[in-house]
Amino acid sequence: MSVLITRPEHDPTTKHLAHWSQAIVDMAVHKGFDVFDLRRASANRTEFIGRMKKLQPRFVILNGHGDEETVAGHDNEPLIEADVNEDLLYNRITYAVSCNSAAELGVHCSEHPCTTFIGYTDKFIFSLTRSTSSRPLQDVRARPFMESSNQVALALLKGHTAAEASQKSKELFQKNYRSLLSSTSNPDALHDAQLLWWDMMHQVCLGYQEATVMAQKV
Amino acid sequence: MNTQPKPLLADEDIRQLVTARLSVLSPETILSFGSEGNFSRDELLEHVKEGDSIGEKIAQIQLEWLRSLKEGLV
Repeated sequence: MSVLITRPEHDPTTKHLAHWSQAIVDMAVHKGFDVFDLRRASANRTEFIGRMKKLQPRFVILNGHGDEETVAGHDNEPLIEADVNEDLLYNRITYAVSCNSAAELGVHCSEHPCTTFIGYTDKFIFSLTRSTSSRPLQDVRARPFMESSNQVALALLKGHTAAEASQKSKELFQKNYRSLLSSTSNPDALHDAQLLWWDMMHQVCLGYQEATVMAQKV
Repeated sequence: MNTQPKPLLADEDIRQLVTARLSVLSPETILSFGSEGNFSRDELLEHVKEGDSIGEKIAQIQLEWLRSLKEGLV
């Protein structure tokens, strides 16, 4: 089984997503998956389409900016677009860490049999710390957002179904949310808790709920 | 007939509430707002003052969270 991940890295948002996704790459390798990592300039449309057609990955993880119909790669080049090349995601599980893309692209894809799209129906927003913006893994403000989001992919790689993976992610969002709400000394805690709640409320698992990355539907 | 919903930040009480909440954030705060960019606390306050789409989204998040609290959803 193979996993394809895109990790554009052209601004602070994509840099954070790319660095925090290393845990997903490491887990996939550890679990014995063939991992195809389109990082930085490799996360371009030509490379993405070519790899998708050639490798037919079971699990696709898209990090990047997006809107209702599109998920983009490096320098915001559109990689996948509703009604244009959405068929590349058919018969697979996709997790798109991208604003809004579950609202239309995800709905379109998930209408196809044996297809699952996990993503966000509105903006995926998170907090960063100015002083650690160049060292994303040391950013304690970003950690609860990144770890909660990562839980989708990590749970899938451990063999959970798509529905379970999304649920586990939401449980981690809730745990981090409650932890922040209970903080009495952190002036940023309430703000970050609200954003965690927002992201959790807009994460959806569309299409085939029982899909796993281990096997195709029989 | 105009069917556009009234902007949240057109309500002065809401604008003051959102501004007050943002004002207490540490100056280290940066908000990743997707493809629209990353914004500091002071830039967020400016967007709320301007009442643009970013300011409206911040207001929407805060108000929906408050509503969910009231309804016992969180």
